[in-house]
Amino acid sequence: MSDIPNPSGGLLKKPLPEAIDPGLFEFAEFDQNAGERIGYSNYSYWHSTFQVFRKNKVAVVAFWILALLLAFTFLQPLLPGQNSATKINIDPATGVQMRNRPPDAQFWFGTNSIGQDLWARIWSGTRTSLLIGLIVGIIEMVVGIIYGALWGYVRKLDRLCTEIYNVLNNIPTTIILLLMAYILRPGFRTMIIAMCATGWLGLARFVRNQIVIIRDREYNLASRCLGTSTGRIITHNLLPYLVSVIMLQTALSIPSTIGWEVFLTYIGLGLPVSTPSLGNLVNEGRLIMMSPELRYQLIFPTIVLSIITISFYLLGNAFADASDPRNHV
Amino acid sequence: MDGKTVDGDIILDVRDLVIKFNLRGQTLTAIRGASLAVERGETIAIVGESGSGKSVFTKSFIGMLDKNGWIDSGSIWFEGADLTRYKTEKEWLGVRGKKISMVFQDPMTSLNPLKAIGKQIAEVYELHHGMDKKQASEAAISMLERVGIPNAGERHRQYPHEFSGGMRQRVVIAIAMACTPQILICDEPTTALDVTIQAQILDLIRSLQAEYGFTTIYITHDLGVVANVADRVAVMYAGKIIECGKAEEIFYDPRHPYTWALLSSLPQLGIKGKPLFSISGTPPNLFNEITGDAFAPRNPYALKVDFVYEPPIFYVSPTHWAASWLLDPRAPKVEPPEIIQQLQDSWKVQNAWLQNGAEQP
Amino acid sequence: MTKYILKRLGQSLVTLFIVVSVVFLLMRLLPVEGYFGDGYDKLTPEQRTAALQRMGLLDPWYVQLGRFYFNMLKGDLGTSIIYRRDVPVVEIIAPRIPYSFYFGVAATVLALIVGLSLGIAMARKKGRAADKVGTGYIVLINAVPSAVYLLFIQLYLTSLFSLPLLFDRYQFRSWILPTISLSLGGTAGYAMWIRRYMVDELNKDYIKLAMSKGLSEKKIMVRHVMRNAFVPMAQYLPAAILSTISGSIYIESLYSIPGMGGLLVDVIQRQDNPMVQALVLIFSSVGIIGLFLGDILMAIFDPRIKLVKGEGAR
Repeated sequence: MSDIPNPSGGLLKKPLPEAIDPGLFEFAEFDQNAGERIGYSNYSYWHSTFQVFRKNKVAVVAFWILALLLAFTFLQPLLPGQNSATKINIDPATGVQMRNRPPDAQFWFGTNSIGQDLWARIWSGTRTSLLIGLIVGIIEMVVGIIYGALWGYVRKLDRLCTEIYNVLNNIPTTIILLLMAYILRPGFRTMIIAMCATGWLGLARFVRNQIVIIRDREYNLASRCLGTSTGRIITHNLLPYLVSVIMLQTALSIPSTIGWEVFLTYIGLGLPVSTPSLGNLVNEGRLIMMSPELRYQLIFPTIVLSIITISFYLLGNAFADASDPRNHV
Repeated sequence: MDGKTVDGDIILDVRDLVIKFNLRGQTLTAIRGASLAVERGETIAIVGESGSGKSVFTKSFIGMLDKNGWIDSGSIWFEGADLTRYKTEKEWLGVRGKKISMVFQDPMTSLNPLKAIGKQIAEVYELHHGMDKKQASEAAISMLERVGIPNAGERHRQYPHEFSGGMRQRVVIAIAMACTPQILICDEPTTALDVTIQAQILDLIRSLQAEYGFTTIYITHDLGVVANVADRVAVMYAGKIIECGKAEEIFYDPRHPYTWALLSSLPQLGIKGKPLFSISGTPPNLFNEITGDAFAPRNPYALKVDFVYEPPIFYVSPTHWAASWLLDPRAPKVEPPEIIQQLQDSWKVQNAWLQNGAEQP
Repeated sequence: MTKYILKRLGQSLVTLFIVVSVVFLLMRLLPVEGYFGDGYDKLTPEQRTAALQRMGLLDPWYVQLGRFYFNMLKGDLGTSIIYRRDVPVVEIIAPRIPYSFYFGVAATVLALIVGLSLGIAMARKKGRAADKVGTGYIVLINAVPSAVYLLFIQLYLTSLFSLPLLFDRYQFRSWILPTISLSLGGTAGYAMWIRRYMVDELNKDYIKLAMSKGLSEKKIMVRHVMRNAFVPMAQYLPAAILSTISGSIYIESLYSIPGMGGLLVDVIQRQDNPMVQALVLIFSSVGIIGLFLGDILMAIFDPRIKLVKGEGAR
């Protein structure tokens, strides 16, 4: 750093070119707008969310595994050479049911105790369980959001909604599920109703808390002053804020639903045996798990189930993390 | 280098500090070569808009930059050591609290809500002065009294939420004082408080400084606070200190167009009948490399050279410098805006009284 | 403080009352076959109606409800119909309580110790090996249904560690695996929550002040972060107790432990209504008690709560 003395008696900080064009010491044109342009920020919420998500390698792997698995699950019946999930296969040579055959070239996952193709059953069961999970997830989301939004936004309802929430929340979910399945008799519809009975509570509570926090924020007060209706405020001002949590809850509800299904089936309140589902398959496998050579009947459904649940869980959490603006740094 | 006053003793010497942050994959240069020399025992205020880098600048003095930030170049000289070389926590523990203390902006969230305030102060005594619990507790109580908390003997057992904002800030100051630091950094200490409380807090800090003899660095955007407390003022814009001098010099003889704009924005200085002044435009995007003077695009007095070369430091007096091409002898002569001239006129009037030995009204 | 406890106690009792009544009324929807056992088909419609009348099941709901509470206060929860014919429900359930109680408490304590230690280690070593391992464990426990992993634990770990497959009161080794199994969910929960709370605390402003005081990271962790993170943990305790109850139902069944959970599974399969009703009531009550305890603990640890009158969702 050279110290070039300056005629006014001080020091120059940096070396400047030997001679500066004297023409530069004229006034520049002042453009008022130029000052506005330079403060631009290129932040885009969804873009940043996507970037953070992409950086999470585990989540990306889980995404692809799940995408492929789901695609296969629904494409499987269309593939050539697939057997029915319920048909009992009879050996043409002996006329005997092909029971408990370990995996071989004909039956890739083997057969179960009454001769049904386990491969076909597993994929059919996955479809059923996923369907249940999806329906339950959507219903929970809709009910949860509506309930939570009203609870949080309409002050008059607050007391009533809180009491209802408390009552429902205090009972262990297991009990409610058992009770409902017991009362309504096991079945597809019952299972959906039972699981929806309390699953929405968590989301409702969260939505309500967020709304209570936000409803009195200035930009919402301003909206109200301008005459915006309650419904519109909820959908336009408040809900976009909650997207990430809603996504998380929905993603997590699928593994949870499958879990409850397995539990209920074990208790004896699950789907009928004629409808294959992951819960049924796991329990069928459980019944014969003590003999090692038949254990494949338990292991295959468990593996598929685990892949699905773990992937959904990882994806849900990864998305929730990515959509949190604090992680957008 | 920042100017030294003839007889000053520099306690903190910051030279050409460059601090960068990694944000969303890009690099942001928050501090672009800032220099400041702080004299022992003085009160210096760093002023600037939000986003000018004031907080980042001072946080680097105690090694509390956010995790995605780093000091790229430059040096911070304190007690014979360059603080930019400190990498381990151990090194910083010798400085933080003990030698350099900080008072933060928001007293509502600065204190641990679940710990009694007495304990939060005593903790410092135990840590830096090696006292045992009882001694520390007593010391805490007396410090509470010193900062003006009534009934300290009982109140030290209370929790932060049982105190008002102003009281909480006093507690925070007590914590900072307990360390008997050499330098106290106050980051907007009164911004979150009522105007009436503001004056009390500033008085408190002033009296503590007189008693303990530390150096105070204020960070603020409130020029009223500056006028109240500062010996010297440093004006910061876009990560650089662009003007620095004694308080009177900055207020009554500002030289950098940004300082003119800043002072002109004070509503109190507005000229009756004319619209209030505001600076057009916004501060520059610090992700980009800046050519020339960062303030040029918003500067109605900008010269062409302001867009080409960065202005060097020019001395107006031994204690007052500004980084503006307008001070170059080759630059045209420029009158400061009307508002500033009015300020200067009133100063001259006051000055005249002083010179005549008369008392100020 | 006492006022707060009493207030919460009152609220809990009211909630308990509502829950119990709701459950009781829901049970009125149960299929009537559950009251007859095998003999249902053998009876004529008139005989069935008469029997229901005798059992008081055709009375108006408020009469039934009143009678139920009256009996309950006398200690009478009805008589089993199918499981053990004509034996008072209370007699069947009572001997099972100690087993459920023991496993529930032991598992909760174990989960607390292991879970909190794990979570704290994860928060302190955030992003490093301990954190990743812990996260893997939590993901597994949360994602894979407990019905599945508990099954596999019973299947493989019993042979691996030569532990008995089924529970036997007199064989100490048979107590181990059910306790550990029951604690797994709680461990994951505690670890996850305390880690989250600690990380949240670390972002708060007062931590900056603590740092600027010159406290080392370790001291800040222990004295400020951990201590503050424990407070909301108390809120999580009731949820943990609830999930322990849920878990116990399954585990008692798996290991044939003579507790209340296993009993519930049995009586559901046998459709014994009075038994189902009584057990559901007991489990619900435990849940509510847990929530009450959680709130009280919160009040003890958080000095701000005593002064806030808030009526919140619990």
